[in-house]
Amino acid sequence: MRTYETIFIVRPDLVGDEYAAVLEKFKGVLTAQGAVILKVDEWGTRKLAYQVKKQGRGTYVLVAYEAEPKVIAEFERRMRIDEAIIKFLTVHLEKGLPAPAPVKTLDDVTAEAEEAGEVEETEEA
Amino acid sequence: MAIDKKPASPRRRFSRRKGCRYCAEPSMVIDYKEIRSLRYFISERGKIVPRRISGNCAEHQRKVTEAIKLARNIALLPFTSAHSND
Repeated sequence: MRTYETIFIVRPDLVGDEYAAVLEKFKGVLTAQGAVILKVDEWGTRKLAYQVKKQGRGTYVLVAYEAEPKVIAEFERRMRIDEAIIKFLTVHLEKGLPAPAPVKTLDDVTAEAEEAGEVEETEEA
Repeated sequence: MAIDKKPASPRRRFSRRKGCRYCAEPSMVIDYKEIRSLRYFISERGKIVPRRISGNCAEHQRKVTEAIKLARNIALLPFTSAHSND
């Protein structure tokens, strides 16, 4: 079993029950083939960096799971067929699922560095 | 004969070698989903900023590049600003 994560973008005009149905359907595709779902992260609707299938927005869903490589082929085939999915990307996580510790962004680090710098200066003075 | 200790040649003083931001802060993770950090390494046009400008070390520049390319594929970052939708 290998750990993978897939991001897929659902058409933004599917909301509520329709959207939930799509989500359940693809979770079902994975579990039916013996994959173990580790994490489902719904990012919600956000703007796309460029138009995809004439859509300017899309609903992002991130799924992390453990599965055999052949499961991916079937999963991606099903996503290609379904009109509700406008784009997807599967990445193999070689180090497994990273711990859910808060990821530091560049801004946080610069802010911290600035604070640290200020503190040092006051100590010297 | 006293030699005046001049500061480094003016040309040198302009170059500000920032050093690799990811080496300085090992807790930072390069992730294609973390586009707020990656935005720092793309130009206004959407191009990847070269190493001589970004100051990244080879290893981290490679990881940043790979992350940006993944993010482009899933429409998190633009390939070019010409195709941006507004």
